[in-house]
Amino acid sequence: MKAKFALIPAWALWSMALSIAMSSGLAQAAESSSSVKGVVKFSGTAPKASRIDMSQDPLCAKAHSTPATTEEVVVGGGGGLANVVVYVSDGLATHDFPPPQQTAALEQKGCQYKPHVLAIQAGQKLDVVNSDETTHNIHPIPNNNREWNMTQPHGMALQQTFAREEVGILVKCNIHPWMKGYISVFKHPYFAVSDKNGEFELKGLPPGIYTITAWQEKLGTLTQKVEVGAGETKTADFTFKQ
Amino acid sequence: MRTKVGSKLRLGSAAIVISLLWSVTGLAQESHIGNLTGNARRGKALYVRYCIFCHGSEGDGRGESASYLDPKPRDFTKAVFKCRSTPNGSLPLDSDLYDTISRGIHASGMPSWKPLLRQERVDLVAYIKTFSSAFQEEKPGAPVVIPPEPANSAESIRRGAELFQNMNCWSCHGKDGRGHGPSAATLTDSKGYPVTPFDFTSGSRFKCGETDRDMFRDLTTGLDGSPMPSFADAMTADQRWDVVHYIRSLNAPKGHSKLKAELKTP
Amino acid sequence: MRFVTFQKIGMQLVGLGILLAGMQPAYGIPAFARKFGLPCSACHEAWPMLNNFGQTFKDNGYQLGNDRDAPIYQDPGYWPIMFRTTPVWHRENNNRQTVDRVPGDPGSGLVEASVSTSGFDLGGVDAIAAGTLSKNISFFVQPFFGNSGVAITQAWARFDNLLGSHWLNVKMGKFELDEPISQERLLTLSNSGGLYYNYFFTPPGDNNFFQGIGFTQLGVEVQGHSDNDYTRYSLAVVTNSNGQTGLPSSNTYDLYANFNKAFEARWFGRQEAGVYGYFGESPTYFLTQNGNPIPGTGQGNRSFYRIGAYGHWYVNKFDFYTFYMHGSDNVFLGNAVPSNHPELLPPGAVGPTWNGGFIEGHYNPTPRWIVLGRYELTRMSRQANPGIPDNAGNLDTWTVGYRWYPIMNPRAGLAWTQEFSRINNIGAAPLSSQDAIRNSLMMGFDFDF
Repeated sequence: MKAKFALIPAWALWSMALSIAMSSGLAQAAESSSSVKGVVKFSGTAPKASRIDMSQDPLCAKAHSTPATTEEVVVGGGGGLANVVVYVSDGLATHDFPPPQQTAALEQKGCQYKPHVLAIQAGQKLDVVNSDETTHNIHPIPNNNREWNMTQPHGMALQQTFAREEVGILVKCNIHPWMKGYISVFKHPYFAVSDKNGEFELKGLPPGIYTITAWQEKLGTLTQKVEVGAGETKTADFTFKQ
Repeated sequence: MRTKVGSKLRLGSAAIVISLLWSVTGLAQESHIGNLTGNARRGKALYVRYCIFCHGSEGDGRGESASYLDPKPRDFTKAVFKCRSTPNGSLPLDSDLYDTISRGIHASGMPSWKPLLRQERVDLVAYIKTFSSAFQEEKPGAPVVIPPEPANSAESIRRGAELFQNMNCWSCHGKDGRGHGPSAATLTDSKGYPVTPFDFTSGSRFKCGETDRDMFRDLTTGLDGSPMPSFADAMTADQRWDVVHYIRSLNAPKGHSKLKAELKTP
Repeated sequence: MRFVTFQKIGMQLVGLGILLAGMQPAYGIPAFARKFGLPCSACHEAWPMLNNFGQTFKDNGYQLGNDRDAPIYQDPGYWPIMFRTTPVWHRENNNRQTVDRVPGDPGSGLVEASVSTSGFDLGGVDAIAAGTLSKNISFFVQPFFGNSGVAITQAWARFDNLLGSHWLNVKMGKFELDEPISQERLLTLSNSGGLYYNYFFTPPGDNNFFQGIGFTQLGVEVQGHSDNDYTRYSLAVVTNSNGQTGLPSSNTYDLYANFNKAFEARWFGRQEAGVYGYFGESPTYFLTQNGNPIPGTGQGNRSFYRIGAYGHWYVNKFDFYTFYMHGSDNVFLGNAVPSNHPELLPPGAVGPTWNGGFIEGHYNPTPRWIVLGRYELTRMSRQANPGIPDNAGNLDTWTVGYRWYPIMNPRAGLAWTQEFSRINNIGAAPLSSQDAIRNSLMMGFDFDF
């Protein structure tokens, strides 16, 4: 009997130590003003985007005065590569971050996904909106998350979350086969999607040595190691080739 | 005193390790269907006898016969199942897996295993659940509600036809329901294998059951792992019944010919 | 293969492994495994023995019932044929074989000697083509290539699931009678152990054209079953020819009926019990031409029957067959006397009756192993006339063996089998009237592809 009671304080000490460590990690995130920013570029001649034939659904076709084009490799002026997901893939002390209160949004507009590439946090609420008159079905096909497939007529509310980390989940509409989007889910908040100029910034990083990965839906991934001190802003540029 | 503490600790940790190992191997998995309890250890012996050549020794649908089968055998490691009573994206209930095993899946290589004892089928469900950790980490959703079916009528079929148009069912199933819609040729299941939408005029039986209730349920849950989505939020229950009535009219047996005739009148 | 000679060979046939070279045709059908992608073990407890899934598949007309059964769904290269052959080594011993005292000298008189023969041998080649001609029309053709030439063991077509119901199926042709304990799917192959003697028993001195329910018969069968095959019935009307083509016997028709019911016993498994009966009339003489009988003109028909019950009981990985038969032949058949000459009946002549049965146990721990043992007996309860010794025709047999299946895939099957069987024809040694004991030791391969 005596022996049993003697064990308990040791376990209690363990759990106390763990919670202290965790909370210290979170505290650090709130305070840090370090960041990593950069430009993702595409070197060489950008591949030509092909036109999408939306004649199958007149409600889609009429949304485009000139035909829409595929968005697999979107290169802006100055060679900036858009829609690249840049994120911290290694180096974080903890992966325990509460999902943000803010809701992310994925819109079906003109029978295309806006944004074409979306990055959210695990557990973050995602509002899926159908701004088109036609009915879509939204069908993400993950490897590490639950697959789901919902029909969404115009105006129907739909909110979902993704529980686990996964990069580049393909999102399809089976009704409109040309529709393709990608959702990337992270357990931490240090990710960004490059804009039309290829620019990105990972804000609020705690100081440390990190592996930064850039993922593009067709061109693959590139990685870099970056060391950030407290209050520092480091640059990490990526250049994708064909 | 010290020795006593030490031996108790050893016994306790040995017990923990053993039970951890046991649960990790997954063969502690159980299933509950009706008043029967299934056991994965017994289910494994049955799986090896009956299932392994299509579904594979790892349960990933890559058995020896799989390359010759279309549609491909189910990959249990993904825990994604077409025929369920639970909402879209959810795990199936034990009884859903039991029903699929018992009924088989029409127009596929999956036979009806009703000749097996009920206990055997329940044991197989328990073993199938061991192929994916999802069954230990998550719980299936609550079964979808299937309200009583309203009476069929020409009006219901007409409303159903309108919904068939507006919900874009025709883009896969075709305007005539024969399965050759404009998107049909592009359809793949979630593993990338081409699939064809169901031909409602064929008289073949639906994969997940033959009754109107089964069709309603399929519309509500969607067939996970396939392009067939859930209409649970897109249509009300009455609307879904209308679609069921319309689909039936596409291959109407003799009793519905009167309704079909009514539809034809301008 | 002429069966007519069987009429003249009486008791000696019992225990000689009646069918051809004595090694019994038995099969699993890899053509089905190839068609559906299922392994042998899905339908067979241990091929050739069927399990309930396989029996249901067979009763459904070789269809899985999932709308993909019709031949149009098969690759055009698929052909529904399989072959089975059993190259074995075996040793046969007959402890009281009648031989000339001096070999080569018929005048030296006959004595009884223990005679052994052994060596490598082949049990013939079974070819089976079976499957569906179209949805709900199934067929089965089984020629057997043996030492005496080609015999057609079975050839039939069946209309399945008539009126959309499992309860109505009509089969026509030459077929095995509906016996869940199937003679065609025995696990044993040896001369002494490769058959169920009760299925072929004819009492001593009897000349009944009908030789036993183990022979495949010519006729029409109506069969039905429940969804999971737990309730089954069969009614067959066959011509009285013992399965011989060419209308050799008489214009009479025999009736065979079978009914069986199964249920689940919670902790043990499936249990099944059934009853059957074969009721017929056989000719006792023929019209003749210059004293020679004209085949097919059987006259003086007299009745006979075989009735009984059977069961199939599971206790987890063990299962047992139990089988009982009561047979009765009319006095004219029993004494081989034409009914138009009743004066030829020996004094005290009666219709012979007998009882027999067997119990066969299996242990099937995995789909790759089966160990089996069988005890079978027949006892005459009434001999055809007082001149026949009381125990004439009685027999006891023991068989033990096992089969091991190293290869199990949806393409072909291979089994290694060893078997020892011993049959005791009680008091049957022609000279000394002592027990005539024959035993077989057999080992070899069973190829099925």
